[in-house]
Amino acid sequence: MGIYNFRGGVHPKGYKELSADKPLKEFLPSGELVFPVSQHVGKPAIPVVKRNDLVKVGQLIARADGFISSNIHSSVSGKVKAVEPRLNNAGVMVESIVIINDNEYTLAEGVGEKTDYTKLSAKEIIDKIKDAGVVGLGGAGFPTFVKMMPQKPEEIRWIVANGAECEPGITCDDRLMQEHPEEIVEGMKIVLQLFPTAKAVIAIETNKPAAIASMKKAIAGDNRFSVLELKVKYPQGGERNLVHAVTGQYMESASLPASLGCIVDNVATLAAIYKAVALNTPLYERGLTVTGDGAAQPANYIVKFGTLASEIIPDEGGLKPGTKKVLLGGPMMGMAIPNTDIPLEKRNNALTCYLEDEVEIAQGKLTNCIRCGKCIRVCPLGLYPQMMAEAIEKNNLQRFIDVHGLDCIQCGTCNFACPAKRPLTQLFKQGKPLAMALNRINQSKKEGSK
Amino acid sequence: MSTETSTFKHVSSSPHLRNPLTTGGVMMNVVIGLVPVTVFGIWHFGLHAALVIIASIASAMLTEYLFDLIAKRPNTLWDGSAVVTGLLLALCLPSQCPLYVPILGSAFGILVAKCFFGGLGQNFMNPALAGRAFLLISFGKVMTDYSYDAVSSVTPLASLNSGEAVDLGKMFIGLATGHIGISILCIVIGGIWLLVTDTISWEIPVASTISFVIFLIAMSGRGFDPYYLAAQLCGGGFALGAFFMATDPVTKPMTWSGQLIFGCLYGFLSAVFRTQGSMADTTTFAIIIANLATPLIDRMPVPQPFGVGKKGSSVIPGVEALNAPKRKSMIPKSAIILMAITLVAGGGLACVNMMTADTIAENERQAALAAYETVLPDMEITSDDALTAQVEQFAETGYGDGAFGRVYINEAVVGKDSSGNAAGYAISVSSMEGYDGEIAMSVGILPDGTVTGISFTTITETAGMGMLANEDSWKAQFKDKNVEAFKLNKAGGSTTDEEIDSVSGASITSGAVVNAVNAALDFFHNYVVAG
Repeated sequence: MGIYNFRGGVHPKGYKELSADKPLKEFLPSGELVFPVSQHVGKPAIPVVKRNDLVKVGQLIARADGFISSNIHSSVSGKVKAVEPRLNNAGVMVESIVIINDNEYTLAEGVGEKTDYTKLSAKEIIDKIKDAGVVGLGGAGFPTFVKMMPQKPEEIRWIVANGAECEPGITCDDRLMQEHPEEIVEGMKIVLQLFPTAKAVIAIETNKPAAIASMKKAIAGDNRFSVLELKVKYPQGGERNLVHAVTGQYMESASLPASLGCIVDNVATLAAIYKAVALNTPLYERGLTVTGDGAAQPANYIVKFGTLASEIIPDEGGLKPGTKKVLLGGPMMGMAIPNTDIPLEKRNNALTCYLEDEVEIAQGKLTNCIRCGKCIRVCPLGLYPQMMAEAIEKNNLQRFIDVHGLDCIQCGTCNFACPAKRPLTQLFKQGKPLAMALNRINQSKKEGSK
Repeated sequence: MSTETSTFKHVSSSPHLRNPLTTGGVMMNVVIGLVPVTVFGIWHFGLHAALVIIASIASAMLTEYLFDLIAKRPNTLWDGSAVVTGLLLALCLPSQCPLYVPILGSAFGILVAKCFFGGLGQNFMNPALAGRAFLLISFGKVMTDYSYDAVSSVTPLASLNSGEAVDLGKMFIGLATGHIGISILCIVIGGIWLLVTDTISWEIPVASTISFVIFLIAMSGRGFDPYYLAAQLCGGGFALGAFFMATDPVTKPMTWSGQLIFGCLYGFLSAVFRTQGSMADTTTFAIIIANLATPLIDRMPVPQPFGVGKKGSSVIPGVEALNAPKRKSMIPKSAIILMAITLVAGGGLACVNMMTADTIAENERQAALAAYETVLPDMEITSDDALTAQVEQFAETGYGDGAFGRVYINEAVVGKDSSGNAAGYAISVSSMEGYDGEIAMSVGILPDGTVTGISFTTITETAGMGMLANEDSWKAQFKDKNVEAFKLNKAGGSTTDEEIDSVSGASITSGAVVNAVNAALDFFHNYVVAG
């Protein structure tokens, strides 16, 4: 397979070198841990522990509520201090379980026991993934077991491991592919067991030669597997672009990868599937990169959920003096946090720390849109961001829908490229929910008139 | 919550990285791209060119500054767009123009075309070209006076149009007469800089050049003539327009396909104006008209979001598929209706024209015959193959190489007396230099060179002034005179046969008629009698 490219995209500075050679290291928290009940797409989970309960590592502390929801497990052993609302990373007070770590890390019963997954039925595998609370670790947090239950399983032809890691600065997936390629491959084999006729593709950007070599070595001898090399470009890891890379088919915003015969999962998610199914270990920790020019020690950690960001990057010793901005995630799609007293959860793959706030600098250079069209050229989905932004600024939501604004994935590419420094992505984040609401109103009106 | 360890950090929406390129940077790139052609212009045309450039830029910046001040708007000078406007305007001015020209032009462009519409990004036409159009209309003579070094000379394009040879190499380098930004070589160097720095994209320069060449081949009547095409590409402001003005981000379409359409439109209009128009300037109006079409063009290409056309459906129980909006065409209904009306009206006109074409030709024939009979009374009008052949050799270029202005010999016929001998000649001649365009007339000449009279077939001059030339008393001045050539006497009170009194207040009309009659006489002496 050649090196895949797509139309559009940008080249933000990568600075992956800050943390690329730092091996994954387990980070042991010392203080209290906070587990928000909503760490995934869907309905928040329901706490099943109460104050002063004793919990062990891997023990269920909140159970899924409904179909699109996910279990949450404790990452430490200790005592429940409280079940109360706490600030989550989106700046919202969310019901959270607070646990005081006893630093013993006593495993719950059965956790870590090996199971021969080849003897399991499809239903048993899916139930194990569901019970382990595995969600998409690429950042969306969509419950993984749902993806494993397409309406037409016989039509699934591709299992895609997304190892593109196109966000600047983040290296935890890269390290995972280098250090534990067998976990990813085993995870894919488990998924292949659900879809026996499918082929497995591992997609990696070419700026990770060590990961490519490592994955190629791990899949050697199994002709169901292949590695797809992607051109270094942001947003190469976007699902629709990835599905196109693998299948050559275009995926519309209204469809899911499964309709084109694809199951797309992040490499870390696949490793989590392996642990859940073969090792009976629920999802309670993940890889996380600490990077940016404001990080005193860029590193890749295995972080236990619930750990406060301030433990990993304390003001003294973790952050360089004068650090202006801390992001959960990478610089293109990550979220800025007002302070570091925020628990890390399933969807967080990085802590990016900056001495300079580029957005602040850019705001000083804001001008009217000069209609240069750069946003249109770089949009990976072929949208017209300038027209979308104009529609929202004029509060014309119908126009926003007409220019296909609802297709926007808010990857930030247009915003990055804009010389006039217009806050495009911010406008889309504001406008999209309003436009979707309008869309629903229009539809119910249509149905009402029938 | 243990907030004592954490200090408040900056928050903002993603993305948190920004491309270093800014609006000011874009403008700076354009200025850098214009440096070669500017330096060349100053070197070639001398210091006055530098003064024109400085005056133009200073005026543009001052206008914007004052407007911001008076309108209580934030100062926007730092974005650099005023500098670009001033510089671009100066580059398409004659090098020796008085300094009030660039000052007024820049001020108009910035104030009317840009500031009044909301500043940078809101102007609907290129401010530099708006300023230039204003100057062309207001100071037509100054704007087309390309003399320098106290030598009045014609531009290469004017030479080309009158059939003279031009030096392509010198035109390309810029060693010719014209506006300050004349060096095609330097423009191309600057254009490559813009392309390399991604300040402009290739669509507009490429599409406009290709479409310009194609339509020149189609409309110039010269077919595929590489020499002529190269001279057209190197002459005038086409290249400066293609690289620096049509590509102005604000007034061009934003989409890839829109830019191709826009480029083609610019090339097409330039070719039409150059081959069919009479204006000295083609680039300005071609780009301005294309600018006006931009909002429509921007709505025309249907955006193709990733994967459109592939049917999608929700495959997961309990998950509702995101309802994708109907992919409707972006062409506004009004545009389609307008286009339909235009097509119907245009088609109707074409039909009427086709149906009446024969009648019109017949009417014109009758008018011409009547005119011949007026000037050659009592003779039988017949055509003569030898005479017709003599006339045809001047059909393309006009008669007299400009000695009589732009004059065409349309037809020459023989008047025969009752015994069948040639008793007189009638020559139909048109001057294009009437106050309102063409004046066509028949001139009757006896074999000895005596003019029997003139009769107009086409004259649409100003009523009460130029139209007085059609009075019999004025036309009688030519009657029964036997002279080498007539001479216009603007003062009136003529005494000799040669002198013709000008129609009062209509010396242009009178001059055109005298020139046409002289051309007819010249033709008579050189080709009818001699031939």
